[in-house]
Amino acid sequence: MLYFDNSATTPIDQDVQSLMSDLNQNIYGNPSSIYASGRNAKNIIEIARRKLANAINSKPSEIIFTGGGSEANNIVLWDMVHKKRNHVITSSIEHPAILLVLRELEKLGVKHTIVPVDKNGLIDPDDIKKNIISDTGLISIMMANNEVGTIEPIQEIARIAHEHDVLFHSDAIQVLGKLPIDVKKLQLDIMSFSAHKFYGPKGVGALYIKDGVSINPMIIGGSQEKNMRAGTENVSGIAGLGLAAEIASNFEKENFSHLLELENYFKELIIDKHNDITFNGFDNNKLPGLVNLTIPNIPSDLLLINLDNDGISISNGSACSSGTISPSPVLKAMGLSDKSNLESVRISAGKYNTMDEVNKLVDSIHSSIVTIRKNT
Amino acid sequence: MNKKIVVGISGGVDSSVAALLLAEQGYDVECIFMKNWEDEDGEVCTSADDYSDALQVCNILGLPIHSVNFSKEYWDKVFTYFLSEYKAGRTPNPDVLCNREIKFKAFLEYAMKLGSKHIATGHYAKIECINSQYRLLKGKDKNKDQSYFLYLLSQEPLSKSKFPLGDLEKEDVRHIAKKAGLPTANKKDSTGICFVGEKNFKQFLEKYLPANPGEIISTDERKVGTHSGLMYYTIGQRKGLGIGGGYSDNNDPWYVVEKDMKKNKLIVCQGKDNPSLYSSKIIVTQLHWITNIIPNEKQELAAKIRYRQKDQACTVELIKNKSAIVSFNKPIFAAAAGQSIVFYKNEECLGGGIIEPYVN
Repeated sequence: MLYFDNSATTPIDQDVQSLMSDLNQNIYGNPSSIYASGRNAKNIIEIARRKLANAINSKPSEIIFTGGGSEANNIVLWDMVHKKRNHVITSSIEHPAILLVLRELEKLGVKHTIVPVDKNGLIDPDDIKKNIISDTGLISIMMANNEVGTIEPIQEIARIAHEHDVLFHSDAIQVLGKLPIDVKKLQLDIMSFSAHKFYGPKGVGALYIKDGVSINPMIIGGSQEKNMRAGTENVSGIAGLGLAAEIASNFEKENFSHLLELENYFKELIIDKHNDITFNGFDNNKLPGLVNLTIPNIPSDLLLINLDNDGISISNGSACSSGTISPSPVLKAMGLSDKSNLESVRISAGKYNTMDEVNKLVDSIHSSIVTIRKNT
Repeated sequence: MNKKIVVGISGGVDSSVAALLLAEQGYDVECIFMKNWEDEDGEVCTSADDYSDALQVCNILGLPIHSVNFSKEYWDKVFTYFLSEYKAGRTPNPDVLCNREIKFKAFLEYAMKLGSKHIATGHYAKIECINSQYRLLKGKDKNKDQSYFLYLLSQEPLSKSKFPLGDLEKEDVRHIAKKAGLPTANKKDSTGICFVGEKNFKQFLEKYLPANPGEIISTDERKVGTHSGLMYYTIGQRKGLGIGGGYSDNNDPWYVVEKDMKKNKLIVCQGKDNPSLYSSKIIVTQLHWITNIIPNEKQELAAKIRYRQKDQACTVELIKNKSAIVSFNKPIFAAAAGQSIVFYKNEECLGGGIIEPYVN
């Protein structure tokens, strides 16, 4: 089994796993209880908060834990229902947990503008500036894209937002552990995270909300997370997120070089065998280890089935709950034709992948291409 | 020997057991879930529940499963025809076309691309090769026999297909599924249009075809009610006409006899025995024969004009342009234009065609 879909999710880190098992077994108190076992649980959450805060250079008080990255994004956008200035600016390559939420919020009177991207998936900050109106209350732009890895100029966009007294949110779900994140330097107001993208558990996420920025809660019914997210905390999950964030940030430089090395090696090998392959997005200015490629005349669904039958996991398009694939809206926004779109796949390496695995991946892609060409 | 086979799996009990039986027979089974319909809102995933059932079945059986989306092919090749027939006041059978265009064409081709030489489905029918002709036979379970829906297949798809349930009764199939612990063992049979799913048919059709209400007229030319659009009615239909009492001396139920598309009138009559509901002769067009054997000009056969109908003895006389005149020994009830008539000789399904209104 070869796993090359680390942008979808990552295998859990062994240390994180051990910590969580231990907590699940031994820490059962409700963090809201005042007696010892409750206090212990509460303490574990606060340790995790400090670890994530350290990883992104925020204060612990600026972190709230959520039930995942999509929930984090939802909290930020649903807040607009309460705001007077409720126009939102976002981009055409955001995650569905931004774009579909905005579509839903339109019914409740929250308006939005979607700015385009260029052929590399890059947003022009000027486009954002041009679309700011007196009602604009929020700009939400991802730090790096999940399908092609493009790194967006969020520092510049944050500056523009603040010039116009507009809140700036960035979805950084793909980034932690691959690039440095310093919320103070980036001048961010709000940022979303998801533990399972950096070798932590699924179903836990976090929001950085700068001191002084006021957001309304979406889930109500308890005073947890300073009233920002009701519900008894997922203690072991939060602890897992905290430790995973610490590890990711401590090894960020090593991880970056490792992923870049795998990426370059992969590109070299595959181009050597199939020089008609094209890569979507930037060569640099992107997340390391993430390659989106188009293989002419090889439908990506057939390639994926062949690779899956070889025990190799990569991905394409946007998967739906009945398992079928639609053309990727991100590649579409970058101007790819529908044909090329459906011939594109994403390979995303992770910290556990090796050069030898890249060899096997390339061999399997090569033999699948040969098989598909033979049968069609 | 290439023992690879691709099984079309729907999340129902029949295809689950088809996959199970082939795996037991030593085939290298790969399951494909077909998604052929997308609701207008492209972002919403339809058929997610069926896929999740299929996934659980494959997990228990230890078989790989993948999905494929043929909704464009379904729309172009099946649904547009379905709509145009309805618009013309006819009663089409989309499942017949779906088999020819999707399951035994698009899906078959897809399986070939995956390097398989055969596909299998959970249909209740049999395939036999006699004298190098592939013949389609009724399934053993006479109550479930699905050969009616498969009459448009020809030699090539039949030569590449397997129906593992052909020799089983539905009860056996459920029993096998239960024994294997499959979650689909007690799943209710679907009754909706293939792939579109079970919907309120009137509401569904309304979305695609504008309704044009008009009068309901009795065969003796009296106005007896109003209809909500001719496309919602089928010849022989009894329910949902909304004709109250007081239009005649008796309380016999009303039936749809005819749809006058030009005048937008629905013609009805009273009593199931009313002769206007019966035909002893019909015209059949778009004839298709399953084998390459040239049929006799005139032959005594049996026919079904709807799924699960008992075989009706008839004489089929070929006329030009893939058409025939079919005379029934006993007049048949409610032959609706656009419906498929399927011919049988004992157990063998020979082919069929489309019913046209008979004009003397």
